[in-house]
Amino acid sequence: MRRVAVIGVGVTKFGRHERTSAELFAEAAGDALVDAGLPPSAIQALYYGNVVGSETEKQLHTGPQAASVLGIPTVPTTRFETACASSHAAFRHAVMEIGSGVSDVVLVGGAERVLNVTTEESTEYFAYASDARWEQTLGLTFPGVFALVARAHMAKYGTTEAQMAAVAVKNHKHGTRNPKAQFQKEITLEQVLKSPMVADPLKLYDCCPFTDGGAAVVLASEEVARKARRRPIWVLASAAASDWMLIGDKRDLSRVPATERAAASAYSQAGLGPQDINVVELHDCFTIAEIVATEGLGLFEPGTGGIAAEKGWTSVGGKMPVNPSGGLKAKGHPIGATGAAQIAEIVTQLREDAGPRQVDGARVGLTHTLGGNTATVLVSLFGRD
Amino acid sequence: MTEPAISQKAFFEKAGAGQLMGVRCQRCGALAIPPKEFCPSCGERAWEPVPLSGEGTIASFTVIRVAPRAHAADAPYAIAAVQLKEGVSLLGRLIDIPLERLAIGLPVRFRPFTRGGQTAVGFGPA
Repeated sequence: MRRVAVIGVGVTKFGRHERTSAELFAEAAGDALVDAGLPPSAIQALYYGNVVGSETEKQLHTGPQAASVLGIPTVPTTRFETACASSHAAFRHAVMEIGSGVSDVVLVGGAERVLNVTTEESTEYFAYASDARWEQTLGLTFPGVFALVARAHMAKYGTTEAQMAAVAVKNHKHGTRNPKAQFQKEITLEQVLKSPMVADPLKLYDCCPFTDGGAAVVLASEEVARKARRRPIWVLASAAASDWMLIGDKRDLSRVPATERAAASAYSQAGLGPQDINVVELHDCFTIAEIVATEGLGLFEPGTGGIAAEKGWTSVGGKMPVNPSGGLKAKGHPIGATGAAQIAEIVTQLREDAGPRQVDGARVGLTHTLGGNTATVLVSLFGRD
Repeated sequence: MTEPAISQKAFFEKAGAGQLMGVRCQRCGALAIPPKEFCPSCGERAWEPVPLSGEGTIASFTVIRVAPRAHAADAPYAIAAVQLKEGVSLLGRLIDIPLERLAIGLPVRFRPFTRGGQTAVGFGPA
């Protein structure tokens, strides 16, 4: 496989927008192309993530639509849907397209619009990522899935609600340093613990918000990347793993085996291990999800992810900074865009461009994106010369 | 073409009548619920339907307070992952169990949970 680099990134402000997902993507992609110093005509393919477009915007065929709105209607375009991991799955396939020599420049990204519908509607649409016959019929929600994980983790390891709350407090603090974040406001442990229950034991402030937004990254072959405007950030690995769709088929709800498998594959591709990682953007759709992910990625021993958050080890300035962008919790979670936005943040960190949220001396970064009911996980690794 | 040992439709018809069914691999003896095409343990494609006791214990649970539209009238309601006596697990709606009594390890028993004429998996007191 040829080496692949990220040479441009772009992210919209996350939050509420009065624009379509295609328009949001076009803004992010336009910024990514300016960052890369390339004209739109340089793009040879678009790999696009969008999840609930058919529900919230009554729109299918969102890939070509996004390409048309961007003004590159003739490039081959494919939409990826792996629930919340969609644009990270798109990224992995784009890496393979360049790595295999098919293309030299590929645009990857995603966008989502959900704040144009009610919370009841979006709760229902997100639940479509669980099984229609076996799980949706029970009234299972997305917070409900992670509540089952949280309860199992608490029972097995003694993880506390205060430890989960510490993740929210930390990510909100990081979010204050990110001008693109949906929430740029600190919160207290007490506020988290006293917020209303959504799915016991997860409270409102344990949950990431519904978000509109777009994100894009420009990938290039080594030959193109060497001549790019910005220092290339190399893709050291990009791996995917899946797991049983049904909660009932998962053997141990305190773990996310797909994270463990994707991480093992990524570390093996790069010849690196968790001890080599300096900065992480991971999928904190719920506070417990961050705790379980830090364990699954091998950053902390099983059962100690909650302690790591509580002790500040995962804060910027701590020994293993996690989600300097504010994470899904504070930056926001426009599901089709999230994977690309995480990659944009790690690229920004490795370029040492992250300003007040910069992780000092970051040389190797990791992104982790989880889809739906823990059945899809993508892990990618990035480095600089 | 091989007919499945038990289709999803047949599973829920029997569940609606109060009988929980699984499938057992005729080669390695692994038990599965719901049915799969291939045995995840040995890769064989020969299953036989087997009745399950419906008895199990709660492995994890949650109380849903912000519900999807179709279930909003039920909220708050509990959902649990239940480990059945036979070793396999199923997710189900908890019925007739006070929310304050919920605990990991609590014994429960299968019963059909019906909404809008559609049967799903439920568990009530053992």
